[in-house]
Amino acid sequence: MPHYISVILDDERYAKIKGTPLEEKITYLFGGQLKSLVVEVPEEKSEQILKTFDKARIDSRGYIEDVPVAFRRAVFEEIAKAKSLDVIDKVLERLPEIQEAAKKEDEYIPPPEIE
Amino acid sequence: MPLIKTPPPHGGKLVDRVVKKREIAEKMIAGCPTFELKPTTLPDGTPIRHVYREIMSICYGFFSPVEGSMVQNELERVLNERRLLSEWIFPYPILFDVSEEDYKALDVKEGDRLLLMLKGQPFATIDIEEIYRIDPTDVATRTFGTPEKNPEVVREPFNEKHPGYMIYKMHNPVIIAGKYTIVNEPKFKEPFDRFWFPPAKCREVIKNEKKWRTVIAHQTRNVPHVGHEMLMKAAAFTGDIEPCHGILVNAIIGAKRRGDYPDEAILEGHEAVNKYGYIKPERHMVTFTLWDMRYGNPIESLLHGVIRQNMGCTHHMFGRDHAAVGEYYDMYATQILWGEGIPSFGFEAPPNEVDYGLKIMPQNMAEFWYCPICQEIAYSESCGHTDAKQKFSGSFLRGMVAEGVFPPRVVMRPEVYKAIVKWWKVYNYPFVNRKYLDMKNKELEIDLPAMEVPKA
Ligand SMILES: [Zn+2]
Repeated sequence: MPHYISVILDDERYAKIKGTPLEEKITYLFGGQLKSLVVEVPEEKSEQILKTFDKARIDSRGYIEDVPVAFRRAVFEEIAKAKSLDVIDKVLERLPEIQEAAKKEDEYIPPPEIE
Repeated sequence: MPLIKTPPPHGGKLVDRVVKKREIAEKMIAGCPTFELKPTTLPDGTPIRHVYREIMSICYGFFSPVEGSMVQNELERVLNERRLLSEWIFPYPILFDVSEEDYKALDVKEGDRLLLMLKGQPFATIDIEEIYRIDPTDVATRTFGTPEKNPEVVREPFNEKHPGYMIYKMHNPVIIAGKYTIVNEPKFKEPFDRFWFPPAKCREVIKNEKKWRTVIAHQTRNVPHVGHEMLMKAAAFTGDIEPCHGILVNAIIGAKRRGDYPDEAILEGHEAVNKYGYIKPERHMVTFTLWDMRYGNPIESLLHGVIRQNMGCTHHMFGRDHAAVGEYYDMYATQILWGEGIPSFGFEAPPNEVDYGLKIMPQNMAEFWYCPICQEIAYSESCGHTDAKQKFSGSFLRGMVAEGVFPPRVVMRPEVYKAIVKWWKVYNYPFVNRKYLDMKNKELEIDLPAMEVPKA
């Protein structure tokens, strides 16, 4: 059984995929106010993710949760680059770099650029 | 049904043990032996409690009628029956604990007055009535209960993963019992200062400024999402001939778990709810109590009842998993206590139906979710589209926040989110981490004016 990673789209992220075929794949929650894209992760690859990040877990709906912020950000970056949801291999290639960034997350998570 | 009025303080009278006149305070402390207050820490040094918060909550009347650190008979009575020696119900052991080494160095005895120093300044006194020893692990276990002794609601034995259990387990073994008196009134820092409404002041504001006859309390240790906001709004429809006039948010401020939101963001997040009109300020007010949360679900709910009755509330809303962490208690333990009582904890009936009990009335609430079929935020006991529910999940929201994604306003109000980001920029982190705990432990929420200790 595959697992999933949900990537939430705020306005800024939505702008980056607007007008691409990805728009049709958006899942709408909360009356359409919360948009997300769902990436399918084959089981052997989700195992690799769980092994890499000790807090990561699969929730009751089969979604991979409690992964580092850096991981989720990387998933979206690859989606935006490829204009496709078939990005999990690309993300896994970046694991060493993501792991480095994740190490700092107990101490520091960059705040978003809003006033 | 007669109109509901503000209940009396628990125990009949608000405790006020704060000496405001400098000359009197100086006379009280002249020549006293001194002791600098220390935090309670985990074996790795993580601060999990600071007794100064208990001293503040006692002396300003939040915990009325408790006046100090409990004598041994009172500790036993609280653990066995959740009652003080004066018969009034009270949930938790309140203890001033010191290590054997500190006790030896202190060289004090019953009848002495000990001056407690904080941040290097005189803070409070304790008039020693009794000195005795405890087995902290035993106190910790009996405080929260066990599956064997409290089968109604305890599901798993408490262990070192439970923050409240660890607070008691890490207590020092020597207990100095006696009444506290604050002799040097602390000044709250921003933003705490504008949310500080000790019970006497809070009652005055409710009566004279807000002019609320009925007030429902909302417990929080969280930045509010819209699910919390709906809980507050809907629970407030209880009352008597009309919905409650006021909603009093009372945040618990103190040592927290890693991953919780910083205290400043919690207070300003709730404030944003009224400041930006989601519940207008005429009906909503934000306050706090100093207390290192014990996460004791039904036991904690009793303390919440005590505090908010003392603050002048007529009602208290209780959700499921109230003040809970993990799966130690039944998720409905608090609602069971307030709905029918928990005999093994000393309650054959709900806490507001026993002698010397509370007068505040419970409003047990279920859950809110977004229903795409009703197209509204629905109450779980009304909406029949359970399969379609979209839940307000705290962990899902925290994931969103950590990622720096602006949450949609149907999930979290933008002004509330901005309060999180404001403090995120200050602490370089959106949640409580070790650095924040250490900083908080050093800085505390207050500063103390300089004060000399006169010689005897
Ligand atoms: Zn519905």
